[in-house]
Amino acid sequence: MSGVLPDAVVDAAIGWSVKLDHGDPTPAARAAFERWLGADPQHGLAWARVAAMRGDLQRVPPRLALDTLQSAESARRTRATGRRKLLQGLGLGFAGLVSIGAVREFTPWQRLVADVSTGVGERRTVTLSDGTRLALNTDTAVGADLSGDRRVLVLHRGEILVTTGPDAGTRGHREFWVETSAGRLRAVGTRFIVRLDGARTFVGVTEGAVDLHPADGGPVVRVAAGASRWLDRGGTAPAEPRGFDPGAFAEGVIAGRDMRLADLLAELSRHRHGRLVCDPRVADLRVSGVFHLDDSDQVLRFIARTQPVEVTRRTRFWITVGPVSKNS
Amino acid sequence: MSAAETAAHREVEKLYSHHHGWLQGWLRRRLGDRAEAADLAQDVFLRVLARQGRGVPESIDTPRAYLSTIARGLVVDHWRRRELERAWLETLAAMPEAQAPSPEARLLCLEVLVQIDRLLDALKPAVRRAFLWAQLEGLTCREIGERLGVSLATAERYVAQGLRRCYDLRYA
Repeated sequence: MSGVLPDAVVDAAIGWSVKLDHGDPTPAARAAFERWLGADPQHGLAWARVAAMRGDLQRVPPRLALDTLQSAESARRTRATGRRKLLQGLGLGFAGLVSIGAVREFTPWQRLVADVSTGVGERRTVTLSDGTRLALNTDTAVGADLSGDRRVLVLHRGEILVTTGPDAGTRGHREFWVETSAGRLRAVGTRFIVRLDGARTFVGVTEGAVDLHPADGGPVVRVAAGASRWLDRGGTAPAEPRGFDPGAFAEGVIAGRDMRLADLLAELSRHRHGRLVCDPRVADLRVSGVFHLDDSDQVLRFIARTQPVEVTRRTRFWITVGPVSKNS
Repeated sequence: MSAAETAAHREVEKLYSHHHGWLQGWLRRRLGDRAEAADLAQDVFLRVLARQGRGVPESIDTPRAYLSTIARGLVVDHWRRRELERAWLETLAAMPEAQAPSPEARLLCLEVLVQIDRLLDALKPAVRRAFLWAQLEGLTCREIGERLGVSLATAERYVAQGLRRCYDLRYA
């Protein structure tokens, strides 16, 4: 049974939903509802539709839904009132609004505790109030506390490239720490990468040195410039090189020599929505080059042209890279 | 396939062969992205097909104006969706990793949110708030009335308006 129901019937069903689902119905009201429901098959259909509709709305986690809708709305409003207003807002310390592209680049973090994040496919660089440069890779969230005796970053998710600043403040040179769920690291005048990968943390150092402190205790291990290591709760282990220049994301590229195709695609998929699947039969092909993250479709086209692979799009959100099929 | 449907298909085919390239260029200038322009151009023709298939085919005197009217609506939807996706990702990013939903659940949630977002667009702010509080936070109309400073009857009317709009989008 389908089709158009009379407006009055739809409105009556909605009226009952409001009374019953969002009110304190009396027994008499419930009885009246039952009588209405049984009075006409159209009433039953209208009621079923309204109930199905409410079921859909309840499929999303409410907190997440409300936060998302609210933040989308405020972003639209912000954009509508223009960039000038936005800058004023930032000047007043609206940490929650620090979100639009280039503006963030010029926002010194005056607040003692602030948070910054990127979505999938976004990258961003900020300068903290102590002069530290912080580059966030795709899908990353960081907290910062620069107010105490130590400078502390907390990496909640994703990957950061840190170039520690001179900290020319009032208290002289303070220690610089990064906290992750696997443990903490202390930077010794340096440039380094921290990346969360499941329960482990990858640390790669390009200048200076970093000391790793596993969360559950155990010996402190120093990582020198040019080296990289895995940190997990129980200890540390050397990290196999994957052929990547790990800091290249800060320049908007993936760069490397003889990368496994599977590794390159895994890296690329972090910058895209949806799934990017590498067939095991082509996983070990070797790829070299510089690949621009801003156009990952272009990268896929390049791979399809230069490697014996076929890129199959099931949907915009589901792409498979596999061997060339025989009949093409 | 009925005669009317065949006629509709022929009309759309003609539109497609004459104006597809132009439409894609028009979209590319607005979106700044070739692949997205190609996707949206495809969506425009799907819409046209759906419209033409409904009963008597519309006669199309000014094809480019017709196509760009539909396309303009889709571009607005597209930006709206982009903004929502960005907000969604930022909200997710701010969550502890352990509490975040699985990738599959995320796609489903996002789809429902896109629908809610489109629905809310047509509601005035007080109605929107009342509707969200009722449907997502489970507030009663009495509580909503108190929060908004309106009578119980008004709060009930707001929640009903939201549901009606939702119904119309889905079943009309």
